[in-house]
Amino acid sequence: MPDPVQALIKYVLLALLYLFMLRVIRAVWVETRQPQAAPSISPASSPTPYGSNHQAPGTPKPPPGPEKLVGVSPAEVKNREFPLGAELTVGRAPGCAIFLEDDTFVSQLHARVFRRDDGLFVEDLGSTNGTFLNGVKVTAPVKLSKGDKVQFGKSTLEVRK
Amino acid sequence: MTPLPARRRTELGLIILVVLLTGGLYALAGFGKAGNLPANIGPLLGALFALLIVAHIAMRKLAPLADPVLLPLAGLLNGIGYVFIARLSPHEARLQAIWTTLGIAVFVATLIIVRRARDIERLRYLFAAVGIGLLLLPLVPGIGENINGARLWIHVGALNFQPGEVAKLALAIFFASVLAERADLLSRGTRRIGRFLVLDPRYLAPIVTAWALSLVIFLAENDLGSSFLFFALFIGMLWVATGRTLYLGFGAVLFGGGSLFALKTIGHARTRVQGWLDPWIHAQTSGYQIIQGWFAIANGGLFGLGPGQSGAASIPEASTDMIFVVIAEELGLVGATAVLIGFLLMVGSGLRIAVRCERPFEKLLAAGLSLILGVQTFVIVAGVTRLIPLTGITLPFVSYGGSSLVSNYILLALLLRLSHGAESPTEIGALVASDGQRLVGTL
Repeated sequence: MPDPVQALIKYVLLALLYLFMLRVIRAVWVETRQPQAAPSISPASSPTPYGSNHQAPGTPKPPPGPEKLVGVSPAEVKNREFPLGAELTVGRAPGCAIFLEDDTFVSQLHARVFRRDDGLFVEDLGSTNGTFLNGVKVTAPVKLSKGDKVQFGKSTLEVRK
Repeated sequence: MTPLPARRRTELGLIILVVLLTGGLYALAGFGKAGNLPANIGPLLGALFALLIVAHIAMRKLAPLADPVLLPLAGLLNGIGYVFIARLSPHEARLQAIWTTLGIAVFVATLIIVRRARDIERLRYLFAAVGIGLLLLPLVPGIGENINGARLWIHVGALNFQPGEVAKLALAIFFASVLAERADLLSRGTRRIGRFLVLDPRYLAPIVTAWALSLVIFLAENDLGSSFLFFALFIGMLWVATGRTLYLGFGAVLFGGGSLFALKTIGHARTRVQGWLDPWIHAQTSGYQIIQGWFAIANGGLFGLGPGQSGAASIPEASTDMIFVVIAEELGLVGATAVLIGFLLMVGSGLRIAVRCERPFEKLLAAGLSLILGVQTFVIVAGVTRLIPLTGITLPFVSYGGSSLVSNYILLALLLRLSHGAESPTEIGALVASDGQRLVGTL
């Protein structure tokens, strides 16, 4: 093959190489400009096929079951109130909805309290010191009802209406 | 059946471009070197396409929401690397093809085995033990082997392997897991000395131990590039975990001290530094490789001589340490820059994954893995261009070398797993809804 042709092919391939990089950049750019729906916390309102499809979108009904957690002990959390939404994370990481910053027995992301169609549940997320419901260690998502005492690390919270 | 996410469509399109590009470069290199089209170009392109499609299908099934650009970028770098290895040594090219196949197999296996990042977080001490064990392996008499003054190979039968390549991933997982748990303890002082609150050293103990041990091992094996990689990984992750710039200063001081010590005591290190500071005086010895590299880069000019058209085979270690130089000679500044852009985009995507992850362990691991990729690229590219002393370390995905290729595909699979996890925030909810039993089993 004559040299000029080879040189031409080389330029074409180099151009193609940059075209590839541009396409990569565009793929990233498109995503950053129009971010996908912000990570939704609630499984119930999730648009993914995984979510439970028990309710039509846009028609929120009042959630059943208890409505808040109230601190019992120790003194740092006593009488602090945590209103319950569709899902709350419990932990010592600053982003947690139930932010137990003073309890060093609480893991960064300790547990979550979430609502499904049939009520309110608590689930341990692999915490170091465990989550206890009325003194019994939580190993699977467990349903909560009014008056239950949930312990994360050293902090105890009570479920109230 | 869920619709194919847009990200996978993007990935597929990019993969097709990768195959076209690699094929074009391979054909051109054949013409440049031998004057005709390489006989095996058909099977080669078919194999490359098949491998990337296997990886792509695995992504659709196992991590459909993950980042779309990482796999094609890795495939492109691997493809370009293969073209230049084949152009330098057909024998090494055959081996590299086998390693690439193995790399993709391990990539898929990693995606299958590691379903959630949390699973590996729990095994932190296992990973620490595996990492350190792998680092120690080359020192075992009988299977360890010295190559170019560095003892970091093991030799079992006909198989050469560099266990340190996999060890760095295991230790990154260990660092991430320990740091994620203790980030808050490490970012503010807890022990009072006089008027000051200082860090309680015992919180740092496991990491410092692992780090010191791995450093000692590396010095015993004479592998300076990897020592630096480890050190940078350790300090970088500490910095990411705590947000304290102090650690970077602390690291710089430690690194300065360590370098001086290495310079005084290790002949291997002294030779490298000599060849770096004053290559011309040692042009026939320690400076030879780097000077040959310079000539090659200069010879390449802006657009390069064309694939297959240089005398690159005369550069020592052309297919491993110096592959970037060969690319610079034959594709010029423009082509070499494109390769660097590729790495930049990979590291950028990795850090974007770190930003999008929500749990500290995942954030740290994504940052750590990106750091490995970035620092390794920097160390070798800066080495061959004489910004820093040249150390024998591979250019990820590009250089010839099986252990490096396989471990980089594991790294890629882990990053993509983290990315998928970050984009599916209902992961926990989804598991509860669809498969409560399995979740119960793992908690």
